[in-house]
Amino acid sequence: MSATTINGVVIDDTFAEAFGMSALGLVITADTPKWANICATVMTGFGTSVIGAGAECGIDRELSPDETPDGRPGVRVLMFGFSPDALVPQLRNRVGQCVLTSPGSACYNGLDSATTMGLAAGPRFFGDGWQTAKKIGNRRFWRVPVMDGEFVIEDKCGVTTDAVGGGNLLMLGRDRAGLLEAAEAAVAAIAKVDDVITPFPGGIVRSGSKVGSKYKGAIASTNDAFCPTLKGVVTTECSPDTISVLEIVIDGLTSKAVAESMRVGLKTLIEVGPSKGLTRVSAGNYGGKLGQHHYHLKDLLP
Amino acid sequence: MSTLSFTLRAAPTQALNLSSLIPSKLAGLSTGDIERLELVEGPHGVRVGDVFAVAGTMTDRVAISGASQFLDYVGAGLDGGSVTVEGRVGNYAGRGMKAGRLDIAGDAGAYLASTAKGGIIHVKGSAGDFLGGTRPGDKFGMLGGTVLVDGNVGERAGERMRRGTVIARGKFGAAAGSRMVGGTLWTEAGFGPRPGPLLRRGTLIGPSVDEVLPTFGDCGRIDPVILRIISRAIAEILGPLAPKALPPTVRKLGGDMATIGKGEILLTA
Repeated sequence: MSATTINGVVIDDTFAEAFGMSALGLVITADTPKWANICATVMTGFGTSVIGAGAECGIDRELSPDETPDGRPGVRVLMFGFSPDALVPQLRNRVGQCVLTSPGSACYNGLDSATTMGLAAGPRFFGDGWQTAKKIGNRRFWRVPVMDGEFVIEDKCGVTTDAVGGGNLLMLGRDRAGLLEAAEAAVAAIAKVDDVITPFPGGIVRSGSKVGSKYKGAIASTNDAFCPTLKGVVTTECSPDTISVLEIVIDGLTSKAVAESMRVGLKTLIEVGPSKGLTRVSAGNYGGKLGQHHYHLKDLLP
Repeated sequence: MSTLSFTLRAAPTQALNLSSLIPSKLAGLSTGDIERLELVEGPHGVRVGDVFAVAGTMTDRVAISGASQFLDYVGAGLDGGSVTVEGRVGNYAGRGMKAGRLDIAGDAGAYLASTAKGGIIHVKGSAGDFLGGTRPGDKFGMLGGTVLVDGNVGERAGERMRRGTVIARGKFGAAAGSRMVGGTLWTEAGFGPRPGPLLRRGTLIGPSVDEVLPTFGDCGRIDPVILRIISRAIAEILGPLAPKALPPTVRKLGGDMATIGKGEILLTA
């Protein structure tokens, strides 16, 4: 494996291996940007990995009043799951518990797609018979009476099966605090790319996993090859000076959006990283046999 | 873009059914074929050539020059393209219309847009009774689309209407929204007496009501988000013709409690 060195950062000759996923998008609005963000943040909470959280969720971007159906400030959120069927209970529970309940909120489709799924299928029945629908143009909106007025929720939302989950960048550094700052800068750059989310806390995951475990019942366990504290006792991927490894996981509505995110993330790391103790950038894969999408770092270099 | 035009030779003396004069039904026909189309069937039938001078080539636009209360079913079944009329028309204009645009420079008679499912109708004059309504045999009245009337609207607009939006710059006559099942009636001038008899669902929006039915309950001031959605959606559909955006707060009269009572009259003033 030959690596490239740019600006003092070693870029491994490897690739990120990502999987085909299903995804949907929602537009959440509220009276103020603050409350749109509160609603979207809670609604996408505990949405880090499909393995344990059921869906991978995050905020794509904030929307100006001009961009929303009701002319109020909004946020676009994306939800990723194994299949449209797997997204059904996630959508129902998250919208029912986190959007319906949030003061002043309204919830609309945020993804144009020929394939749709019921968005108001569950939440509208909260109206106990007083819910009514209003169809305007081609869009049907449900109005559910609630204590602060009406909760408006669109009847259906678009769903795509062309989404990609698991684009990633692994960052190795010799300064744990500095590496986190470099990773934060990369996440901020990726946030500017449309149609993608970084579902882990703050966009960053520190507990990369490998498939399987010595313990029965655990389907994944710590990625010991990237654990700096084990580098002398296991077959390690860490460099001798590695103190910390962080990963950014990227889910996107399209493969192109994931590739673009990795490109801008990589660019930022190369620019910002050296002063923060970043020594190497790698990517996670399973040998290329499991995921349909391969993103080679050498193809994404600035 | 060229237009196929129909110019009235003389004022008709009997009701004519103009439902065949829409782009999809005229496509591929020669001028001779078009002139032989029947506007009144039977032994005393009337053909297009008997009453109209036909000129131009067919694209997706039909223009009717002339004005008469006997021009019935103008733009009925329109499913794309446009039909324009330079003067007044008779009954059933835009009936069963699915898409496209119907522009009427004068008044429209009764049953404008009855059972229409889509498209845009703009009447520069006033419209008659049962706008978007049902005639015997119809299960529902208007089922979709957008109607804009610059003048006033007759009685019982939106009778058994289910979806779609009717906007009047003038006033609606008595009993607007009678037996309405859904959809929106929106006036910038106000409703006549007793709107919404047996209103099940659906929304009547206007600055005033001449006389409120006793079976409507005052729900007070409300500020529903749906008003913003309606304003923006209609602005998108009608462009510069769209009415002024709705105010954020309205007074709601809920009813008709003589039936399921899920309808609403929203007072904007």
